[in-house]
Amino acid sequence: MSETQSRAAPVSEAKVTVYRRMKDLPSTHLLGSGTAMCAGCGGLEALHEVYDVIGAKSIFINAAGCMTLLSVYPFTPFRGSWLYTAMASAPAGAQGVRDALDILKQKKRMPAEEDMEVVVLTGDGSAYGMGLSSTSGAMERGLDFLYLCYDNEGYGNTGQQFSGATPHAARTATSKGKHGFAGYKKDLFSIWAAHKPAYVATVIGAEPLDLARKIEKAKGLEGPRLIIAMAPCPTGWDFDPQITVEVGRLAVRTGVWPLKEYVDGKIVHTKVPHERVAVENYLKLQGRFRHLFEPHRDDAMLGEIQARVDAYWADVTA
Amino acid sequence: MFRVRFHGRGGQGMKAASRILGNAFFLEGYEVQDAPRYGAERRGAPIFAYVRAGREPINERGIIRHPDLVIVADDSLIPVPGAGVMSGVDSRTVVLINSEESPKVWKQRLNFEGDVFTVPVETADRAELRFIGVTCVGAAARLLGAIKRETLSEAIRQELASLGSDIVQISLSKALAAFDSMQAQAGTVTPVKTASSAHFQPPDWIDLSLEDARASAPAIHAGATSIEVRTGLWRTLRPVIDHDRCNRCWWVCSTFCPDGAINVDTEGRPQIDYDHCKGCMICVAQCPPHAIRAISEREAQAAEVEEASK
Repeated sequence: MSETQSRAAPVSEAKVTVYRRMKDLPSTHLLGSGTAMCAGCGGLEALHEVYDVIGAKSIFINAAGCMTLLSVYPFTPFRGSWLYTAMASAPAGAQGVRDALDILKQKKRMPAEEDMEVVVLTGDGSAYGMGLSSTSGAMERGLDFLYLCYDNEGYGNTGQQFSGATPHAARTATSKGKHGFAGYKKDLFSIWAAHKPAYVATVIGAEPLDLARKIEKAKGLEGPRLIIAMAPCPTGWDFDPQITVEVGRLAVRTGVWPLKEYVDGKIVHTKVPHERVAVENYLKLQGRFRHLFEPHRDDAMLGEIQARVDAYWADVTA
Repeated sequence: MFRVRFHGRGGQGMKAASRILGNAFFLEGYEVQDAPRYGAERRGAPIFAYVRAGREPINERGIIRHPDLVIVADDSLIPVPGAGVMSGVDSRTVVLINSEESPKVWKQRLNFEGDVFTVPVETADRAELRFIGVTCVGAAARLLGAIKRETLSEAIRQELASLGSDIVQISLSKALAAFDSMQAQAGTVTPVKTASSAHFQPPDWIDLSLEDARASAPAIHAGATSIEVRTGLWRTLRPVIDHDRCNRCWWVCSTFCPDGAINVDTEGRPQIDYDHCKGCMICVAQCPPHAIRAISEREAQAAEVEEASK
């Protein structure tokens, strides 16, 4: 890199984002209070941060999940429209809404400046499982939409049964045995990125600046843009709601939840934890992993979980 | 048949409590139904669960409209209309409340002829909230008079085994202490005769005629109407900002509050919207200069009443 280029870098960075410091984040919020989400919900925390950046000119297409309960007639926290679909078909619903908006524009029945961002909002049950086929189809068709998945690693709305996003060894309502969930968390980021859409990113409410920059970037692009927000869940993961942010921050600092983005065919890690904290510090805050510590410490399992995280980061160059 | 209705807030272990009671009845050889009401089992939100137990086959289904025993895990629910704590009770219904206050006070407040008992549960630390359910179920088992001490213990062990031995031990000691405390009131709840279907009274349905989709489909014509829902009623702890200590960083509490219940005023001071704050206490945990503290909602409300009467 030449000297001129490296000096130019901060300037282009300034152009890219209005969120350079924490103080650039909004101090009043767009998403209405009074929703039925649990106290301390990490998914709602991420959504309200995301919504401030997306803005009121947006339509949400919501698959069945916890956030179905955001809009229960006659109440809604959104400033714009909301459409409810079955669990497997939110991206298909988004296609219909996008097409309708395009037709209205084309026929000059709606001025172009009134156009809206079409946003799919689903939980991990839909994103990692039932809705994956319709998401794949939407990417294949190059649908211009934003997908926000709040990932609380299980079917939270029905009592935390395991989903394709549940991590290895976690206790769920359907994995109560001595060793918890036998499967492994699906790598949805890679599955999505393999479709080569315009943008894929991981975010978390506990890192609001990183989140705001990514949503801002996604907003400036066209085509399929997909975001996975890890959503620490006091109810499903069994921890006191006041430590939601602490749990989220530890997910990043231990390397369990890598913050990264896929853009222009490249994957970039946006926040590399250089001195990674041991994973057990993250696990022991959560009741769903209590069986790894009580009544006897399960060193073999803790070692296995740590080794998987280490193996992931060993391959990360950026 | 016994019909028991549970009222609590999400996170107080009431769903588990109903399962424990149902299981205990089952172990005593009863026919049992136990079911929580599905839909809004949110931390802090009012929740409901139902247990029916009888020596004969039970033909009743659905929610319990006329309970023989009402268990209230949180006395702050009683004035909440949506919780419907006292709905369908009559003079033979027994009401069990987790409360510091005496049964006499509650009988007077509720203007209720039937029996009221209270079982105070120590919850100075929020980690103890989850044991409210088992404590109530211990007292309830004795009031019902149909469940032996050993059966209750076995039901608790079976239901809570997956939560680890510590939780089981604490639950056992709390439930059995509550069971013992109700010795004088053992068997106060009397079972009802199973009603025949001839006496079935349909609920108060409202019949809606079929309309064109444009007329009958729900449409909301304003944004952010959710603010009409007062989720502040969920709160058991209240965060209070010390504005002298607040360093007006202004993004931390306001950004992390999941509910958007903290906004910053024109002078740069964060203000908590108590109509909607659910009491998660993330702001208390995250405030860099520790300018937000948690106080008990009950005490805060009592102080407000006192202030208003001055």
